[in-house]
Amino acid sequence: MTTPQPVSLSAERPFWNPYLAGVALGALLLGTYLVMGFGLGSSSGPTRLAYGALHLLAPAWTEANGYIGAYFTEGGSVLMDWMVFEVVGVLLGGVLGAYTAGRMRRGAVSKGPNISRGKRIALAIVGGVIMGFAARLGRGCTSGQALTGGAVLALGSWIFMLSVFAGGYLTAPLVRRQWR
Amino acid sequence: MSAPLYANDAFGYSTAMALATVIGLGFGFVLERAGFGRASVLASQFYGRDNRVLKVMFSAIVTTAVGLTLLSGMGLVELGALTIPGTWLGAAVVGGLLLGVGFVTAGYCPGTALVATGSGNVDGAYSLGGMMLGAIGFGVVWPWMEGLYNAGSMGVVTLPEFFGLSQPIVAAGVVVMAIGAFLGAEALERFLARKDGVEPPPSTLHGGRTRNVVFASFAAVAALALLPLGGEASPPDIEARLVSLDSMDLAEDLIEHPADQWIVDLRSAEACAKERIPGAICLPEDGDAAFLATLPPTRTLVLYGQGSMNSAPDSALAFEGTVAMLDGGWDSFQADVLSPPTLPTRASADTRARYERAAALHGHFTGAEVQRAPPPKPKAVKRAVKKGGGC
Repeated sequence: MTTPQPVSLSAERPFWNPYLAGVALGALLLGTYLVMGFGLGSSSGPTRLAYGALHLLAPAWTEANGYIGAYFTEGGSVLMDWMVFEVVGVLLGGVLGAYTAGRMRRGAVSKGPNISRGKRIALAIVGGVIMGFAARLGRGCTSGQALTGGAVLALGSWIFMLSVFAGGYLTAPLVRRQWR
Repeated sequence: MSAPLYANDAFGYSTAMALATVIGLGFGFVLERAGFGRASVLASQFYGRDNRVLKVMFSAIVTTAVGLTLLSGMGLVELGALTIPGTWLGAAVVGGLLLGVGFVTAGYCPGTALVATGSGNVDGAYSLGGMMLGAIGFGVVWPWMEGLYNAGSMGVVTLPEFFGLSQPIVAAGVVVMAIGAFLGAEALERFLARKDGVEPPPSTLHGGRTRNVVFASFAAVAALALLPLGGEASPPDIEARLVSLDSMDLAEDLIEHPADQWIVDLRSAEACAKERIPGAICLPEDGDAAFLATLPPTRTLVLYGQGSMNSAPDSALAFEGTVAMLDGGWDSFQADVLSPPTLPTRASADTRARYERAAALHGHFTGAEVQRAPPPKPKAVKRAVKKGGGC
């Protein structure tokens, strides 16, 4: 059986070999540990942004909240945090990577052909809400817990990582239609 | 100054913040190049067609884990100074499961949603917005979540501690496991590709050579990290149990807790018979080492020679508890405790305190009249750990 070569309209560069990309990511994480003493994170930046915005709207409620209030007892702005600055870099890194690889697709939605744009966006939001909640409960996400904690062999991070894969595989059949 | 630099105060807060953005930029760039700016690529992991998430993530974990293990074995980084996430079983299991549900539903995890947003994919931006709502939602239901959030708290526990194995052994185990998972993932990709009548992902189809080089490098670094464990297994073991003790601390210990140590005099039999630290057992170094093994390890074994000793004698290996080496040996004990202290001429608070302490100990051990009664000192004896184990 012969498969026709896919016709590429854009001069898009291929993705890196995943093993080499992993080594590059690991080298960056190793360097971060050597320089900073801690690792990478992703969820706490957007979380702090959300809590900062909420604080503008409802300062009293935010400060009185048993969980969110703790972000406002440190003194200084909730946004003056290492992870916030790091996450700004992640966003810029995404821009740089996509732009230099010819992969910048402004306004695009990543989805399969059998789902409407609106439904795919709805699932992206629902998934995002679940993740935002889960990352608070789990004290981190795939970056701060699974990757960073996993690399320093933290027991809880490995349990978290295996649970992420389990949750993903269990749910995958239910949301399959958005990809194919 | 050894790593980690920031934790060891090599630079300040504003530099750290600037570095944060640079490090983040590198993180975002690599994730984009790995293909993680697209939900369809990420989600493919959960259908087995293209296991990029597993390959990138485990390669990164292996790189960092064996790198840190090797560097700490070479004494270039203190693992104990790194921030290691604590373990809360309930939150790890439930938080992890939910994050996996959200991941496959959104097609992104938090970091990759940021990268997708940066590369123009609006579904990434919507995911990010959802995440922010979810984070606020967690605060709203906090009273019902607090119990689960703190359930199964174990503190900071690493896999080496949990399994009672050394760091290099566990790092090597992670390498073996990761390579096994990679080969399994590639076999699955080939199987599903054959079933679907398509070609497997390019990295599996054409990346064989690169893959082999990466696998070989992982194995080589893990093997290097294992080297310090080669030969006898006992020396690192004794190092971890070995502490050093200063003669005045020992003298105080003898007064306050006389039943907490076995003191063994390793000098020649004649020297020991003539004069020794009160309560010491005479055991010439070339004597019967088996005797040490018969001592219950509930007490600290204090060893001393004539002067300072560079290392514990091999016979100390037989003892199962903590082994303390007396700094400066018999000479030091004699000078600091058994000889009368000289009253300092220029008495700063420190020298006066040291004098009074020495005078009290001297009086206790020799019965000599103490020139000046010191205030009672309920001081906990601090023992400097000579060589700490890793984490």
